[in-house]
Amino acid sequence: MKKQISLKVNNKEYQLEVPNRLLLVDLIRDELKLTGTHQACTFEGVCGACTVLLNGEAVKSCMMLAVQADGQDITTVEGLENNGELHPLQKSFNENHALQCGFCTSGILMNAVEFLNDNPDPSEKEIRHALIGNICRCTGYQNIVKAIKEASKQL
Amino acid sequence: MTDTSTAESWIGKKFARKEDRRLITGKGKYLADIHVDNCAVLKFVRSTCAHGKIKSIDTSAAENIPGVIAIYTGKDIKDRIKPLPSAATLPLLEANYPKHWPLAIDKVKFNGEPVAAVIAEDKYTAEDAVEQILVEYEDLPVVTDPEHALQKDAPVIHEEFSDNTIFKMTLTGGFTPEEQKQNSEKVNKIFETADVVVSERFRVHRCGVTPMETRGVISKWDEYAGLQVWMTTQRPHVDRIVFSEIFDIPQNMIQVSAPMDQGGAFGVKAPVYREPILIAYLSMELGRPIKWIETREEHLMSVSQERDQIHYLDLAADSEGRILALRNNIIADNGDGCEGVFWGFVMPFYGAAMIPNGYDIPNCDITVTCATTNKSALSPARAFGTLPGRFAVDRAIDMIARKVGKEAADIRKLNIIKSLPYDTATGVHYDKADYSAVLEKLVSHIDLESFRKEQNSAAESGRRLGIGFSLSVHSSGVASEVLVPMEGQPGYGSATVKIDSGGTVQVYEGDAPQGQGHETMMSQVAAEIFGVSPDNVVTLSGNTNNSPFASGTFGARGGSSTVSAVAMAAKAIREKMANIFIYDNQLDATASDIGFQDSKIFYEKDTSIVCKFSELAERIIMRPLNMPEGVDAGLEQTSFFEAKEPMMSFSVHGVIVEVNENTGDFEIKRYVSAEDVGRVINPQIVEGQVQGGIIQGISNMMFEEFLYDENGQQLSTTMENYKLANAADVPNIEIIHSDTPCEHTPLGTRGMGEGQPGPVPAAVCNAICDALSHLDIQITELPMRSDRLWKLIQDSR
Repeated sequence: MKKQISLKVNNKEYQLEVPNRLLLVDLIRDELKLTGTHQACTFEGVCGACTVLLNGEAVKSCMMLAVQADGQDITTVEGLENNGELHPLQKSFNENHALQCGFCTSGILMNAVEFLNDNPDPSEKEIRHALIGNICRCTGYQNIVKAIKEASKQL
Repeated sequence: MTDTSTAESWIGKKFARKEDRRLITGKGKYLADIHVDNCAVLKFVRSTCAHGKIKSIDTSAAENIPGVIAIYTGKDIKDRIKPLPSAATLPLLEANYPKHWPLAIDKVKFNGEPVAAVIAEDKYTAEDAVEQILVEYEDLPVVTDPEHALQKDAPVIHEEFSDNTIFKMTLTGGFTPEEQKQNSEKVNKIFETADVVVSERFRVHRCGVTPMETRGVISKWDEYAGLQVWMTTQRPHVDRIVFSEIFDIPQNMIQVSAPMDQGGAFGVKAPVYREPILIAYLSMELGRPIKWIETREEHLMSVSQERDQIHYLDLAADSEGRILALRNNIIADNGDGCEGVFWGFVMPFYGAAMIPNGYDIPNCDITVTCATTNKSALSPARAFGTLPGRFAVDRAIDMIARKVGKEAADIRKLNIIKSLPYDTATGVHYDKADYSAVLEKLVSHIDLESFRKEQNSAAESGRRLGIGFSLSVHSSGVASEVLVPMEGQPGYGSATVKIDSGGTVQVYEGDAPQGQGHETMMSQVAAEIFGVSPDNVVTLSGNTNNSPFASGTFGARGGSSTVSAVAMAAKAIREKMANIFIYDNQLDATASDIGFQDSKIFYEKDTSIVCKFSELAERIIMRPLNMPEGVDAGLEQTSFFEAKEPMMSFSVHGVIVEVNENTGDFEIKRYVSAEDVGRVINPQIVEGQVQGGIIQGISNMMFEEFLYDENGQQLSTTMENYKLANAADVPNIEIIHSDTPCEHTPLGTRGMGEGQPGPVPAAVCNAICDALSHLDIQITELPMRSDRLWKLIQDSR
């Protein structure tokens, strides 16, 4: 069973025929070749590495079917740069050493974009609670929290 | 060539990582992101049974699914693939090394063992086919308890052996049973007359350091180019040798590449596993490239399980609290042991060797026994076998302190190794350092005296605060002398440094980092030596075709062995460039008179004699005319660094907790780590390693637990039920330094990432017990969570 869908990803329009059962994360990675979106758990929504923005809201793309994204506007980590200029969160992650292996980073950045939109001046505790849907195994979170706090001052 | 005076010193500088740009923009290339044309997908059928004979495998329904290319079972490969062990996967330790193939033959030994493989056009089809394959098992008795596994009546899991002891060793007292018996008697006598004795059974559960990126392999065969394998691995050169041994293909026809971007490993990607062997073989057999990306469920079922030791530990001390002797009978739950290089037991072996830790304990009697059980083999996890012993010994030290009525910190000051270098009773050599200084610095930084006052006043209002300490000596890089017997691999670090005719410095290492920041760190070192910017240095890793042999990225080798090889190679090239500069300018000078800075090379005594770094590189590579006598063209150097002595890193942890006596909840209020990591190359990277490693230890201690039921069924195969610490679960880490440059590495560095999680559980549990000292609670089992603490509190009343 296949279905015709149209969607916008990083401001680019796509018309695609996709199997009904295709996960959104597989559409993004395998069909659109946007491999910055990662997958680290078995489609249980725990790790957060596949987080993308759906109409500005952070969602886990392994928990959605591609057909559910029909007519929607998606932003992935590849869409964060603006005219070659890094997003303040991206800069801050680099400056504050908020990543080591980088596998979780895309999902955390996308989650943090929405979080800072909703809460432009968060406390450390609020940042830590906002991150419970993203697992990082390398950093111990300390520098991620710091990077998000620093970025909030730049936005 | 010790003088590397440059305008800007790159070593020791907080320098934002070079790797980050591609990773924060989604342009990193991890294994799963690699595209190979015409690539088929492989999925495994894994055993649902923990111990049983395979009666039948029905693949007929699966074969009929359109898009299924082939299905293989153990029978199909048994006569075509050589089993492990192969020579490159064998330590020199005496042990029962189980023979095994990539797919189970006749019987399965744990829930999760690969039984069949489906190769299909895409992953959805492959998954459909896996579900259609019916495997019938005849159940055999299941052994999940290591102490039961060692009893005479236990079913023997590997029929080729007479019992379930895969490895047993006494690490103290000598090499013959007679010598060891004499040692035991001597130690027993000390116990008979000691003023204070602590005897406990400590149990540390099965947990590990599962990375965010699971394992994966892509393999492609071409009759002219040979076998090309991209895989998640910490040791691509060893993988290449193993493929060569198993398939009888010369090594020059095999290329193994670990992607430059690997999503963490922490030891998990160091062994030689079953799966890559099968995938490489089938890519040749089917003439199709094949890709396998491990699911999280497969990963949690089959790898990343470590710790899992029982320690019967006795400590004898005098009335002052000075430790006189240690007796430790260690039993490790080894799992099935089918895992090249480590076999499940190398970690507990190393952990046993490191039992004395930073304490001066001359009389020890230590034996480790590793029991085969119907579980997945222990695979390496950061802290490498030491975490359970660190928990046992540092908890027992606090028990001694309580018995003699002294501060636990003072008992540590009394027993810490004061004179280094030092040889432990287990035969481990610690190099020169000042452990006391690190401990003193931590105790004064955390301000123990003020804390006791705060603790007392808090107790008056019913708040229970506690403080706890622990130590960690951990090797960073291991010399061949030790690594050859322990893992069958050489220990030297190696690197090739090249300058191209445009003046760009290229560093090639055969190790395969997974987030440690080698591109940045190696570039800083080369930049310092050549007086160029790290942006002019490119560091490439993980590819067998462009790098000298290296045993891999593990055991904190990067900051000790590998970086030393980079420094040696770079210094040799610098000296060559300096000598040619002297010759070209007809200077009466030696290489040390020539400065390298700001991408220029100049005579220190007359800086008007100068040329661009890139100009001299071009002259030596492209215009090797009128060269000094005996000097060849070209700027390439491969160097090998073999450590003359171990390069130990040392840390002391101090923790303050608050415990709620009514609920058993506890909160880490403060976590401080004092470190001696030698000379620091990049402080940001070092701090990141410490922070991450300690949080892994906290996560192991409080949350993570691999659970098997009595039938050997795994109950923790998703991240929902194998819980990892999240950001809201954990504290910030304070880091202080008391670094002593290592005297026998070219830059004074030590590696420091490996040991970090090891001392964490003891420090936190010591703090909890201190907070509840009025109840005399002694934590001897992990994990430690509020429900378990609540029970201990109830039992104490």
